[in-house]
Parts: sequence; C-alpha cells; structure tokens
Amino acid sequence: MSFLIRALHRIEDSILVLLLLSMIVLAGVDILARLLFGGGIVWVTPLLRVMVLWVGLAGALVATRSREHIAIDLISRLAPAPVVRVIAVVTSAFAAGVCLLICWHSGIFVNMTHEFDDRAFNDLPAWILQAIIPVSFGLMGLRFLLQSIMAITGHLTLEAPGEADLKEAGQ
Amino acid sequence: MSLLVTLALLLLALAGAPLFAVIAASAMWGFYQNDVDLQVMAVEIYRVAEMPVLIAIPLFTFAGYLLGESKAPQRLVRITDALLGWMPGGLAIVALAACALFTAFTGASGVTIVALGALLVPALAKAGYEEKFNLGLVTTSGSLGLLFAPSLPLILYGVIAQQMALDVPVGIDQLFVAGILPGLLMLLALSGYSAWQSRKLPKSGHEFDGKEAWAAIKDSAWEIPLPFVVLGGIYGGVFAVSEAAAITAFYVLIVTVLIRREISFTNLPGVMRDSMKLVGAILLILAVSLASTNYMIDAGVPEKIFGVIQEHISDKFTFLLLLTVFLLILGMMLDIFSAIVIMIPIILPIAMQYGIHPIHLGILFLANMQLGYFTPPVGMNLFIASFRFNKPVMTLYKATIPFFFILLACVLVITYWPGLSLMLLGEG
Repeated sequence: MSFLIRALHRIEDSILVLLLLSMIVLAGVDILARLLFGGGIVWVTPLLRVMVLWVGLAGALVATRSREHIAIDLISRLAPAPVVRVIAVVTSAFAAGVCLLICWHSGIFVNMTHEFDDRAFNDLPAWILQAIIPVSFGLMGLRFLLQSIMAITGHLTLEAPGEADLKEAGQ
Repeated sequence: MSLLVTLALLLLALAGAPLFAVIAASAMWGFYQNDVDLQVMAVEIYRVAEMPVLIAIPLFTFAGYLLGESKAPQRLVRITDALLGWMPGGLAIVALAACALFTAFTGASGVTIVALGALLVPALAKAGYEEKFNLGLVTTSGSLGLLFAPSLPLILYGVIAQQMALDVPVGIDQLFVAGILPGLLMLLALSGYSAWQSRKLPKSGHEFDGKEAWAAIKDSAWEIPLPFVVLGGIYGGVFAVSEAAAITAFYVLIVTVLIRREISFTNLPGVMRDSMKLVGAILLILAVSLASTNYMIDAGVPEKIFGVIQEHISDKFTFLLLLTVFLLILGMMLDIFSAIVIMIPIILPIAMQYGIHPIHLGILFLANMQLGYFTPPVGMNLFIASFRFNKPVMTLYKATIPFFFILLACVLVITYWPGLSLMLLGEG
C-alpha cells in the first residue's frame, strides 16, 4: 500500500516538473519564433493556456498532500491541541465532500464532451484537455478524506502552514 | 435555509477549512438554488485555461523560488550595501531596498524573510541597531515591494478586474506603472524612520568604496540585467507581462542551474514542486472564484450591497475611510491572494459607483493588504519571522508597531491622493 502511495506521489511530482519545464521551453521558443520569423507557432499559445490549468490543478493536488492550501489559520494557531484535532476532522471531511462533488459533476461534463466529440485547437479532442478537472478533484477529495480519518485516529501531524514550509526547506 | 448555509460556510472558513472548498461550496449552493446543473463548475474552472495572462503566475513564481534558493540574496545584499551603505542609516536602508526588490520578484510569499532576513538581522545587530528595530524592520520588509512590478498580487488584481468587463480598461502594465510612486512613498517613509533611528548610533555607515562597488557589480553581473530587462521591457511596452515572465523564467533557470550551478539537477525538481504548490493553491482559489463571482454578479450582490451603503454614506471621503477600516480587518484574516479573488468582484463595482478609478482601487487595496501581512494576531509574516529568528510572536508584535503606523500613514496618503497612483499614467 505504502509502495503504491509513494509511486503515486512520484508520478504527480514528475507530471508537475515535466509540465513546468515544457511550459518554460515552449514559451521561450514561442518568443524566439516571433522575434526571428515574425510570427509564433499557432498551437503553442492555446496549449500553454491549457498547461496553466494543468500545472495549477496538479500543484493543488500536491499541495493537498502537505496541507498547504490557503486557509484562515486563526484557530489552528490559537486553539489547544484537542480542539485543533476535532476541527481538522471536520474541515478535511468538508473539503473532501466538496472535491468529490466537483469530481462527480465535472466527470459527467467531460463524458459529454467526449460523446459529442468536441474539438479544441489543432483538432485535439477537448475531453482530454478537460480530464484533469475530475481526476485532480477526485484525488484531492480522496486525500482530504484520508486526512480526516487520520485526524480521527490521531495520525495527522498538524502544523501551522508557515512552519511546515520552513521545516521542509530545511531551515 | 440560505442564511444557515452561509453561516455554516463562514464558520468553516474561520475554522481553517481550505478556502477554495468554502468558495466552491458557496458557488455550488448558489447554482443549486437556481436550478443550474452543477456541471457548470467544470465550465467555470476550465476558464482558467482561457486567460492568456495567467501563464505569468507559474513562470514568475518559479523564477522567484529559484532566485531565493540560489545565492542571489547574498549578492543582492552585497551590491546594495556597496551602493547605498554609505548613507545615514545606511544598512537599514540597504535592508529595505534589497527586501523591496526581492519581494517584487518573489511575490511576497514569505520567501523574503527566510532568504534575506537571515543575512540582514545579524548584520544590523553588528552595526549597533537594537534587536527590536531589526526584527521589526525585516518582518515589515517581507511585504514591502508588493506594489512594484512584477509582483503576483498586482497581476492577479489585473486578471480579476479584466474579467469584469468594466467601462474603464485595467491593464496589468498600467497597474505596474501606477504602483511605482505609492511603493516609493512607503520605501522612503521607512528609510526616513531608519535614518532617524540610527542617529544615536556611532557612525556605522562605511565610506563609499569604489573598488568594493565594482567588485559587487561584477559579482552580480548575471542578475543585474534582470530587473532592467523585465521592468524596462514591461514599462517600455516592449513586451507583454506573460512574455516578460517567460523570459525571466528561462533566463533565471539557465543562470542558476547551468551557468552558476548554484542549484543542482537533483535539487531542481524539489524547487519546481514547491513553487508549483503555491501556484496550485492560488490558481485553485481563482478557478472556483470564477464560478462564485459569476453567480454573485448574476444575483446582483454588488448592487444590493451598494444600495445598503448608499443609504448611509453618500460621499467618497467617508466611503474610503470605511473601506480602509474594512480592508485592514480583512487583511488580518485573509491572505492577499484570496482577498483579491473573493473581495474585488464585490468591492470594485461599488467603489466605481463612488467615482474611484479601478487602478487606484487596486493600488490602495494592495497597500492595505500589505499591512495585513504583519498585523496581529495572524499576519503570516509575523509567524514566519517568529519561526525563522526563534523569537516569541509577542516580541514581533511589539517590534512591528512603529513600522505599522508609518505604513498606515502611507496607506492613508495613497487612499486619499489618487493622483499619486494615477499621475504617471497621465490620468491624475
């Protein structure tokens, strides 16, 4: 099980890194092309836009792993530990519910685009570009659900966001 | 029932539920109430893929993280010290200028305190400044520079304002120009205070040393072109913001990894991942806000709020005062990115009814939010500084008080003098 989870983490990290690298290269090449040949490559701009969505959702998915989503952390800073734990159970379960709901409905939407055979730029099937929405929200939902359960059993480390950041950076 | 749901969501937000989930839930509740199929969420989220300027966010953030992990902070302190260290209050002014420049490029995510604070606090202590002053200065400087291009909050404000189809166009390049004078005002006010603070110190500022200055310039040779190319390019209208971001990311990647080799190939993926986590958190909030904003505008929420306010406040002066108080409280609780995407769609139409220019509103909004970074009890930078320098948060609360009031005065000037923001645009 833990092997599978680590594999999943690696896949997510790799996708994220590859997306960002290709964005940098593509954006650079596009500018060069415009400077040298007076015009960019037609499919680069729309592709880059879709990649922003992908890198954003993949980044959000990875941020869920270490609970680094933007939140008001008033209570987690000021309340005693048992209260913080109860709150973590509730808020994580809530986030899980929201993500899974979005996953479900966007899944139906993507399925319809697939059936109607909608096309995006360069005749690419649109559903492939949209598929990241149900996939990322689904995985985020599962991850929040897991965190909620871990908070019940007391296996979730609860840190204020800034501190977690610094520790990870090895400061 | 609707009121109950609103209350529950508010409570969840205050309890620390991820804000994107709260916003998404409120949008879905609104759609559900109006019998709109929830598939619309996918359509709204996909709109992130339809805004060309958004590419600037991942690229600038990545470049900022790379610079923060490299030795660029050390070089930045060296060169500002060589060039500005001879002035009265020299080292404190060095700290302010270096922090402002670094924050503009790294997007005020606390990186400044971590990367520069560690260099500046000991140096200031050695020069004889009181510890309280040093901590206050560095904590405050963590958000200084927010108004200078190419800071992420400025870009995000532009993105949101452009989504709203206003009569007055709001260009991101215009925001970059508008931020210059208000940003300089804050920088100058804090520099003045620092110079005054250092009057009792033994003459600590060293003489100007031409040799050291030249050596520092050579040392930073690879970084010096960056602000000129990026800022000059954007301000001069040579290229768009997204192109500037692409050039910056490409250039910084080549310099730090291939030329200077300060970040190894093994560390690079980690830096990329960390920077994209922040980008993900911001874009996710933006994505779900597009849905909730759409719903709110359809439901006429800004008009309703405007109606209520109009009954009590008819003049611009009082409205601006009320807005400042509101934004200060907001800034204490909400981080700058969520504050922009959640509040701007509501505040902007109301403010325009009172005759406030959308670009001026953006600048005063961000200037207010800048204070929120170090306003007790939960300003993010207070905690980052507390952790970084191993001091109790209470110490930092006290240390930042004088800086808070100086910047508050600046915020009031910025708020009540639209010309300061607009004159460089030729609209003041």
